[in-house]
Amino acid sequence: MKKIVTIALLICIFTLNLTACSDSSNKEEENVLEKNWEAITEDAKGTTVNFYGWGGDQKTNSWLDNFVARRLKEEYDITFNRIPMNIDDILNKLLGEKQVEVKNGTIDIVWINGENFYTAKKNDLLFGSFTDKLPNFKKYIDGDSLEVKYDFGFKVEGYEAPYGKAQFVMIYDKAKLNMVPRNHGELLEMAKNNPGKFTYPAPPDFTGSAFVRNIIYDIVGHEKFLNMEADKEKIEREIAPAIEFLKELKPYLWKEGKTYPSTNAQLDNMYSDNEVLMTMSYNPNYVSAKIQTGEFPKTSNALIFDKGTIGNTHFLTIPYNAPNLDSALVAINFILSVEAQSSKYDPENWGDLPVLDNRKLNEEEKKIFENVELGKGTIAQDILLDHRVPEMPANIIPIIEEIWQENIPVEGE
Amino acid sequence: MLKKFKPYVMLAPVMFIILGIFTMGLALGFFQSLGYFPAVGLKEFTLRYYKEVLTDIGFLDSLKFTLYTSFVSSTLALIIGVLLAYSIFQSKSRKGVLYTIYKLPVIVPHSIAALLVFNVLTQSGILARVLFYLGIISEQTQFPSLIFDQNGIGIIISYLWKGIPFIAMTVYTVLSNINDKLTDAALNLGANRRQVFWKILLPLLMPSILSSYIIIFAFSFGAFEIPYLLGPTSPKLLPVKAYIEYINPDLSHRPYSMVINMVLASYSLILVWFYSKTFKLFSKFDEIS
Amino acid sequence: MKKNNYIFKITMYLLIFLLISPLVILVIWSFVRIWPWPNLLPRDYGLRGFKHVLDPSTKSLRVLFLSVGLSSLVTLCTLLISIPAAKALGVYEFRGKGFFKMLILAPIIVPPVAVAMGIHIAFIKLGLANTFLGVVFVHLVPCIPYAVRILTNVFEIIGESMEMQARVLGASPLQTFIKITLPLMAPGLLSAGSLVFIVSLSQYFLTFLIGGGRIITLPMLMFPYIQSGDRMMASTYSIIFIVTALIMLLIMERIVRNYYKEQNYFYI
Repeated sequence: MKKIVTIALLICIFTLNLTACSDSSNKEEENVLEKNWEAITEDAKGTTVNFYGWGGDQKTNSWLDNFVARRLKEEYDITFNRIPMNIDDILNKLLGEKQVEVKNGTIDIVWINGENFYTAKKNDLLFGSFTDKLPNFKKYIDGDSLEVKYDFGFKVEGYEAPYGKAQFVMIYDKAKLNMVPRNHGELLEMAKNNPGKFTYPAPPDFTGSAFVRNIIYDIVGHEKFLNMEADKEKIEREIAPAIEFLKELKPYLWKEGKTYPSTNAQLDNMYSDNEVLMTMSYNPNYVSAKIQTGEFPKTSNALIFDKGTIGNTHFLTIPYNAPNLDSALVAINFILSVEAQSSKYDPENWGDLPVLDNRKLNEEEKKIFENVELGKGTIAQDILLDHRVPEMPANIIPIIEEIWQENIPVEGE
Repeated sequence: MLKKFKPYVMLAPVMFIILGIFTMGLALGFFQSLGYFPAVGLKEFTLRYYKEVLTDIGFLDSLKFTLYTSFVSSTLALIIGVLLAYSIFQSKSRKGVLYTIYKLPVIVPHSIAALLVFNVLTQSGILARVLFYLGIISEQTQFPSLIFDQNGIGIIISYLWKGIPFIAMTVYTVLSNINDKLTDAALNLGANRRQVFWKILLPLLMPSILSSYIIIFAFSFGAFEIPYLLGPTSPKLLPVKAYIEYINPDLSHRPYSMVINMVLASYSLILVWFYSKTFKLFSKFDEIS
Repeated sequence: MKKNNYIFKITMYLLIFLLISPLVILVIWSFVRIWPWPNLLPRDYGLRGFKHVLDPSTKSLRVLFLSVGLSSLVTLCTLLISIPAAKALGVYEFRGKGFFKMLILAPIIVPPVAVAMGIHIAFIKLGLANTFLGVVFVHLVPCIPYAVRILTNVFEIIGESMEMQARVLGASPLQTFIKITLPLMAPGLLSAGSLVFIVSLSQYFLTFLIGGGRIITLPMLMFPYIQSGDRMMASTYSIIFIVTALIMLLIMERIVRNYYKEQNYFYI
């Protein structure tokens, strides 16, 4: 018996030791936004900043753990702590804390966008408008551009700072497909020529849902959606031609469209395994990263529709109860620097599109971005930007997903 | 009498955790299912969400599908698991690797199990490759679709892979606890092995078989990981439906998730109660002593 | 009789093969670079996964130790409170026994998302949210049903007669428990302990909720890769998970075995 108690105590001490050092509390009642930038960087020194976000991509994780963490330590003496957590868990955590009015939380920075940002902002889970405080935001970001002002159609109002840009692309293997579909009609033709070799992830998967929206845009155009209200009947009417198209496409899909992969990850694996001819991604440089890790064949290539594909911006925000505002601001400001954005743009590191405004860069800085070597299979940044259409308002996306669910996978047709 | 309270005192610490932590959480979930979620501005108690969910056309299909996959997977796991435990027990190789190695799937989390089944059973999985290599199939599409299929085969196989060793482990523990002298005596008195198994071992095993059956049934009835990763797009299993509503960024959807969870929990409770009654009847009927 | 034995042996080997072979594929996957259809073996191998895990910047090793420590502590606590409960349910007859048996199953029956927010709020109020102690407490919830169920079965079989004899012969309750009850239930304790350890080690959702990111365990590093479909990374972490669990279970078995040996003047 004594032995057991001793063991228990030992384990206790041992594990407490491991957790103790992650405890960093610096309480400050003064308003951070009233301090000048020097004071903020000074106060951030020697503290820890906790970055919460999706952790499913090894390259992204490594970039944050290595590059960002190392540079923040060197430059600002800030310890950068990445915590892999899905956005729905983060929101639920904040929501729980909000209900009991927890003033001092654990999260300093959250990686977020779209509907989740909307939910967080609507429920007062965010700190507030802070981007004006960031020197790099003022210097490099075009604060008036639609992509910075709006996130999936919702007003950003400085509550989040842009982190990177994404754009929907489809991926095919040059060695296996000679006809590259440039619009929905050619996609149907391709599917007819290769029955059972094309599919898309079932919405509400993020990428699958984006594919459906892209088809809608390609068929009925994107303009009318930008200010559309969340009225199901109206949306149903507007997207009817696209739903008809998806029904027409269905019999030529993998498993005759009776079932769909539930995540984009599974579609990627099916593509790697040669079970389907195409996969898709919301990251235009994803293909080169996957070629590099060996998951995709070397002859893989990204493609976009002639009428363009949906692009969005992903952001960084600060929760209402962030324990360490100073270093959150310093870290976000650093991520908006030329150094961080160009390092992030390099497909070796991550391959995420930069958010800095090209017109605001000087010649030297422009060079840095031009010198980044893009990987295999990717589309050049200027072509992407020319074929970029904005996302729909976040609140009509779930409605489209619902309509898809009611019309497409059901049996007996 | 102090003795009368003894069992309750002994149960107290466990009940403290279950009632203290768990029931508190459940209460809030229940309120949310009734539409009371003040944090997002829902402040009225209503049965609207129950009505909406229960009258939904897809709901019945999902319920049937959920019942089917959990019933088939746990029953098969039970039979095969007992068989495995008894085989190991009979072959007397209690020492060595075999004794431990069959338990490996028990320590693998369900989501990894889903990954494994995916690796083996897709049309490009290892099984299809072996069949292709052997010339049994000449094309990927000839391999039957076992994943995302409407018969739930991928789901059932994953649960079997996790369930069989679990049943075998608990049954084997009891088997090895049963005094050898008991079976030897029966054998000496002229009983054959089959009789020993049915008349002596099985009744003794019954409580643990029932327990583990209930555990795996209840688990497969309520867990979303495996069906989420391997299930068909339609009909969706109820736990998957609840999960998708739960992660919906629009928080006003939360009551739907909670309604499905409450329905799941009550069904599960009824079934578990029903099982324990039948098993009890069965084991009483078979009791020798 | 002999023939029967062969049938059992064949069944056993066949079943064990079916259970184990997917794991072998998992091991292969953790070294894969390219594995196109219809190759039976990968075309190219790589060490991306293990390199990433062993990179000190990912803190994987620290996380590993923390997970093992946490789950060991949870296992001990669960067993300590489950033994008396299981004895009560297994040996005594009392009013409401069936009800208690059901109640203990509740954490398995009710999906965790249904109770998540309530538990979270309660823990914040108690000051246990984002603490190590809080995570230990919340892990007890999913672990208790397994421990109590298994140990109840054990008590149902060993009964109370042995203990009674010892007590009649003048042993104190503690002596009886240590010298009689514990050795008798050692195998059951081992399976309950192993299972609880695994249940705790694979907890993902509850650890997140209560640990709030302060307490990072192995599944938190692993599951994002399973979700994102990076089969190689997922397999690598899975292997680390499985090997860790296996080592801990073997240690546990060793401890119980040694205990057996010390006490074996009674139980043979």
